[in-house]
Amino acid sequence: MMAPSQHRGGRSITRRTAMTTIASVGALSVAGCMGDGDGDGLSGEIPASGSNTVAPITQIAAEDFEAEYPDAQVNVEPEGTGAGFQEFCQANSAFQSASREITDEEIDICGENDVEYTHYTVGQDTLAVGVNEDNDWCEEITLEELREIWEFESDVQQWSDVRDEWPDEDIALHARDSASGTFDYFTENINGEMGNIRDDYSATSQTDEIWDAVADNEYALGWGGVGHLRSLQDQGGELVTVDVESEQDGEFYPPEEQYIEGGEYSPLARPLFFYFNHAELEENTDLIASFARFYINNQHEFATEVDFYRATDQDIIDNHDQLDSVLDDIGADPDEITVERQDP
Amino acid sequence: MSFRDGQELFADVDLGREKFLNRVFHAVLVAASLFGFVMLVLLILDVVWEAYQGLTVFQIDPVQFLTQPSSSRAERAGFGASIVASLWLMVLTAALAFFIAVGCAVYLVEYASRNRVTRLIEANLANLAGVPSIVYGLLVLALIVNDAGLGSVILAGAIALALLIVPIIIVASIESLRAVPSSVRDGSYAMGATKWQTIRRVVLPQAMPGILTGTILALARAIGETAPLIMVGTMLHATRYPDGPLSSFSAMPTQIYNWTYQADRMFNGLAALGIVVLLAFLVAMYVIAGYLRKKYEADASLTNV
Repeated sequence: MMAPSQHRGGRSITRRTAMTTIASVGALSVAGCMGDGDGDGLSGEIPASGSNTVAPITQIAAEDFEAEYPDAQVNVEPEGTGAGFQEFCQANSAFQSASREITDEEIDICGENDVEYTHYTVGQDTLAVGVNEDNDWCEEITLEELREIWEFESDVQQWSDVRDEWPDEDIALHARDSASGTFDYFTENINGEMGNIRDDYSATSQTDEIWDAVADNEYALGWGGVGHLRSLQDQGGELVTVDVESEQDGEFYPPEEQYIEGGEYSPLARPLFFYFNHAELEENTDLIASFARFYINNQHEFATEVDFYRATDQDIIDNHDQLDSVLDDIGADPDEITVERQDP
Repeated sequence: MSFRDGQELFADVDLGREKFLNRVFHAVLVAASLFGFVMLVLLILDVVWEAYQGLTVFQIDPVQFLTQPSSSRAERAGFGASIVASLWLMVLTAALAFFIAVGCAVYLVEYASRNRVTRLIEANLANLAGVPSIVYGLLVLALIVNDAGLGSVILAGAIALALLIVPIIIVASIESLRAVPSSVRDGSYAMGATKWQTIRRVVLPQAMPGILTGTILALARAIGETAPLIMVGTMLHATRYPDGPLSSFSAMPTQIYNWTYQADRMFNGLAALGIVVLLAFLVAMYVIAGYLRKKYEADASLTNV
């Protein structure tokens, strides 16, 4: 009864033949890459590591780039900004999305491995402070009050602990957990030190959960990505944003396009970046430079399509100038890149 | 007369409390056994409800969902490339794990002498089966993906899953090899067969249903594993059908995971539908395992007569 199946077992792939196959396929694909760059179309693979937050922007750039140049592949494999820099600085990825700038330790690792890079601003993420729709007292909040609520060992338990005229009800606090760049950014810019935060709030890795909780509880307060909040509002979620004091002029601004892109909604708007490795650019100049060019040309549309905010037009010009100078440095002519520069 | 006396004798003994405790304990036990079942039903109802929402509120087309690769644009996204990636993973994982695991089990049961070293190996196998799956993911990330330079490809994911399920298959295989009566082996030797002939033609065929069942159940665990694949590295969206073991990929569970944290709520509906598909695969695998066990148990009882 079992003889046929055993027979089949004997003929299927053994480990050794699998390994030999891999080796030969690997060799072929390397050979394939070396032949690139002469034809009209772009081809080859770009491994892209990095931030979970920025990945949707890079992903949408990748999809449109692949649609235009079907032989090119961009593999967006996000593992988080920190983990991504570990890969990037060991030259395991060519392209890195980041929701914060590279840190000194990461710069050291890149230095040890002779990884040279430049970084480009591709958009802005915005943290909103949100409350329930039935909350009719908290319409604006100062940075000092935010810090009082969220700092380590905060005494604030009830709304009235923040302002006397606010109700004597417990605040339910919801925010991101410590694994995220969002957490790093909020704690550094509001509480003054990365990782400084009270330990009795509801921490989650999912921004949606924060806003769901706020929409369900009149006395809740949360912070998180504004894109998720707007998306829940569109689905009928009963929550609103709080105007936050501006670092620039002390006025209160809502997290809306004009104030984010105008720079008034600060410090809770943060720039998003991509980095790329110059060694990869030298090896595969047309492919990498074309993707970078394509990304920068359309970065405003990509960022807004996945619920982020655009960087400034000046950022696009700066990005292009920087790319041109990097291409000059490695001896490539910026005009010979398949995708042409388009200034806003 | 004596009956009446007996009644009078015990008339003042109040058994109410004991009877009450008896009923309470009974109820607690029933509640304990219902708990898991109720939770499972709630889970399934929730998934079905979310999937229904996905189909009605977001108008997800089931055909497009099953055939298209994923995309950043939720209205174009599908599950097809992830399903294919998971099938690739299953085939490669089974190929990598099965022979190693069965080889190990045959050695331990048929060849190894019962000494301290063998017992140590068996104890370690039991421990290995309890290692958190993410640890295998980290191991493969360091050794295969980075050091060996294979990259975040399907084969690397399959190696991580194979490491995860080898101990499980070994344990199941040892059980079913031990269940083969030694009289059968002795019969084979008496006919002049060598040890290898005995194992190949007598012991393995008898043990194979148990081994296959164990393998399928182990694969059912592997197909739902998320953590090791995330460590190995998966695509945010499986935008392409994988064209071989060396393609980048996102399997079913990792694609579901990535969909759940996207800002656009339509991805939640896609994730719920994805869970339904994944559950369907799991149920199918359990049914196959159960069928094999039933079928060959019947056959084995005939041959043993």
